[in-house]
Amino acid sequence: MLRLHGIMGRADDRAYARQLHALEHRGGIELLFVPPADAGRKRFRLTTDRGTDCAVSLDRDEELVDGALLHLDADRAIIVRFGEQQVWRLKARDDASALKLGWHAGNLHWRVRFEGDHLVVLLDAPIDTYRARIRPLLDAGEVVERDHV
Amino acid sequence: MSRLALTRADEPMTAARVGIGGPVGSGKTALVERLIPALQTRGIDIAVITNDLVTAEDAERVRRSGLIDPERVSAVEAGACPHTVIREDPTLNIEAADELERRFPGVELILLESGGDNLASTFSRDLTDFWMFVIDVAGGDDIPRKRGPGVIRADLLVINKVDLAPHVGVDLGRMQREATEVRGGRPVLLTNCRRGEGIEAIVDLLEREVLFRK
Repeated sequence: MLRLHGIMGRADDRAYARQLHALEHRGGIELLFVPPADAGRKRFRLTTDRGTDCAVSLDRDEELVDGALLHLDADRAIIVRFGEQQVWRLKARDDASALKLGWHAGNLHWRVRFEGDHLVVLLDAPIDTYRARIRPLLDAGEVVERDHV
Repeated sequence: MSRLALTRADEPMTAARVGIGGPVGSGKTALVERLIPALQTRGIDIAVITNDLVTAEDAERVRRSGLIDPERVSAVEAGACPHTVIREDPTLNIEAADELERRFPGVELILLESGGDNLASTFSRDLTDFWMFVIDVAGGDDIPRKRGPGVIRADLLVINKVDLAPHVGVDLGRMQREATEVRGGRPVLLTNCRRGEGIEAIVDLLEREVLFRK
């Protein structure tokens, strides 16, 4: 187990560029993939893509970011990569449908953001579990799926 | 390049924050009462926050238990659905945890017990580093199949009151298999909090996942 506390900086910081470039050539960069749903954690135990068991803690006021540099030594750097955040874009047919969609999204505590007249749902579970919750709206054409990426 | 590692691993950590949620009567407070001595026996410095609807009933129960210094037990009154103060706006609980850390420097783990809620109850990652969801066999062996967010997303699912299974017609093996299946293989542990069975396995998991002792 490698104990890691806090964020040293970001992998794209100029201060680390030479060291990271050198390590990259020697295969010394290890990526720690963090699921988006766990990005808010202040402690977690995950294994890097090279198999290093990492026990990570952050200060309460630190926010984990994609590209965070957690460890750097002569042989190895450990960098956080967020797994791709899956999103689901929805568009309501009309105002009445938009009200229904908004009511459901709020009631279901979905994490959302707004992009113009689209509701973008940030997925924490397989998309079919979300579709099932608004199936009548989808089947009736009151809400249209724009994309899922 | 210097041979010295660039690391902050020696800096002191704040206390791990561990949530305990689940339906009314599933055994959350009983689990807290079993975890307290089990954690203390392993030399872990702890404090407790309980959440109730409009009283401090659970906090008073833990304070009177004699298991822990009553000063180390804080109460949060939600005043609304319990999930509002552990997920939508956990500010009250975050402040209570910060206050316990200020009053008891060196505290390593804070247990946060939610008020009894439904199967959709989940904890915010802003509040807890790890959270468990407690259900019990008497609530029905179909609970895992209902795939509530609490059951699915918790870091650990605890099935409590396993001693009651034969009395309420529950096939415990099947319930455990279905729970493991809907959780994609993530941990499911069985307990009988009345007799203290299964508690050590939970402490083992906490030591590994958030205390980093193993």
